[in-house]
Amino acid sequence: MAKLVDANNLKTWQAQEVVLKPNEACVFIVDGRIGDILTEKVVGNIAGGFNRFIGEMMGVTAKDRRLLFAMTGPADIAIPFAGHMPNGTKVNGFANLRVQLRNEDIPKLLNMFANSAPVLDRRRLAEVLHNELMMRVINPSLAECEDDTMLRSSAFQDKFEMRAEVELRATLTTLGFTMLKAFITANQTDSEKLTELQAQLTAASNTEGAHAEALMERIAIREAATLRRIECEVNVAKAEAAGKVTVELESELKELRKDEARWEAELRRDEGKLDLKLKESSHKTEQAMALFEQVQANKRERINQQMEHQNQRMDKQNELQMKMMEMAAENDALTPEVMQEFLRQQTAQKAIDGPGNEPEASAEKPNEYLCDKCSKPVMSGWNACPHCGIIL
Amino acid sequence: MSQMPAVPIEVLPYVRGIQLVLSRYEGYTKGKRREADKLIRDEIKRAGTRARNHITNIQDVAFKSSNLSIAKAAKLATTKIDSLIEDVDKSITGMNHAFFSGSRSAKVSDLKKLIKHDHDAIEMVTKAINIANSAEHALSSSKPDQEIINLIQQCQQMITSCQGFFNSRNKILGGLRQKQK
Repeated sequence: MAKLVDANNLKTWQAQEVVLKPNEACVFIVDGRIGDILTEKVVGNIAGGFNRFIGEMMGVTAKDRRLLFAMTGPADIAIPFAGHMPNGTKVNGFANLRVQLRNEDIPKLLNMFANSAPVLDRRRLAEVLHNELMMRVINPSLAECEDDTMLRSSAFQDKFEMRAEVELRATLTTLGFTMLKAFITANQTDSEKLTELQAQLTAASNTEGAHAEALMERIAIREAATLRRIECEVNVAKAEAAGKVTVELESELKELRKDEARWEAELRRDEGKLDLKLKESSHKTEQAMALFEQVQANKRERINQQMEHQNQRMDKQNELQMKMMEMAAENDALTPEVMQEFLRQQTAQKAIDGPGNEPEASAEKPNEYLCDKCSKPVMSGWNACPHCGIIL
Repeated sequence: MSQMPAVPIEVLPYVRGIQLVLSRYEGYTKGKRREADKLIRDEIKRAGTRARNHITNIQDVAFKSSNLSIAKAAKLATTKIDSLIEDVDKSITGMNHAFFSGSRSAKVSDLKKLIKHDHDAIEMVTKAINIANSAEHALSSSKPDQEIINLIQQCQQMITSCQGFFNSRNKILGGLRQKQK
């Protein structure tokens, strides 16, 4: 951070040159007096060189020349600490101080180098500030801290920073430093470790539980998937079997339908034939019936004519017999012999008239016979029975 | 008073105003431009430090008296002042002998802008000092806390404005380093 160089010890033949960058500064202390403060500059002939040697020989140069170099950028100082909170919890960690050397304050570093080595680094500054920081800042701050929660709060940090600025300002100002920032970095306390362990165990348990649940869920999903796959395979097999059966049945059905169609066609053909036959037979029956009726009518007419002719003849005979009887009665010829003869002739006549109908009936008998089914008389030459309709 | 041949007439009042604070300031006359830049930067740092000292005193007193609201406001203001000082300390110089060797020459309009920004930045930081002083005075006069906090916040606002003007000034200086295309 800073270094005090005794330029009197720089003995070189070549003049030294220093380039001071923006974050670097150099204070010349010549003959015990603080000189210029330089920065952002190339400082030539800062030490050594033949000219300076000649000047020293002639006694025209300064007797004592010292160069105080310093870094002017912000520097973080980490100071370790260990303390206790009121509840007995041990707290350790680092107190971080961000300090800066301003150009005009660099000569104050001479206070630091008065009785110590002419080099100031972060460790040395931390050592210088350690006790004061512990006693005036850290311990009072921890004394106000009731628990771990407060230790981690922003209010604690704000208060720590302000306390550090207030309490260390005098010392830092004396040394030429300006404090920019201060904060505390406390390590994990025992109670925090315990809480962390509990949280880790809980998290581990929860994690294990979550893993187990996830595993169970995964197994359930796999089981469901397997069952579903098996079900699908069964369904597919069923569908294939059903498809095959359906195809076979359909083919059989087609055959059956083809047979059915054929049978229906044959049935229709047979029915058609039967209808035709029935129509033909019924037509013949009708014709037969008509002929039969005609024959019966002719027969009835002939019988009526015969009966009428017979009656007429019987009437004529009866009239004739009456007339004969009357004539016989008028002629006194009506004797028992005549009457007997008359009855005999009448009987003979009736006998002749009587069997007149019989031969005709017996003559027609051979043309008829009985139906096998209804046992009704049918004529020979008929194709169907007019009573029951069967084919003869 | 030395002559300022390169300083435009329009910005002469600003130069005079700055000279009230920085007697050696002569504007960006040829051969003294780096010196002018350094004067401005040193003055801003010095004034910022002054304002910071006032605010720091307020912070210390407020913290000691457990008045954390004022202490926190003061802390914010000191942080802002530190930021301004750091900006000024590590800002673009552009004011060495090669001021014009970057590539292009500074125009009169550039000089006008620079001088005006210098004036505004100095004015702002000077106001910040006055307000910080007033705040410290108000604290010592047992004024209400809110009034002190308001003054601190006004100081912070002035510092922020000064930082803005200074950054604009840096932008102008940065623009001089490149040729116009």
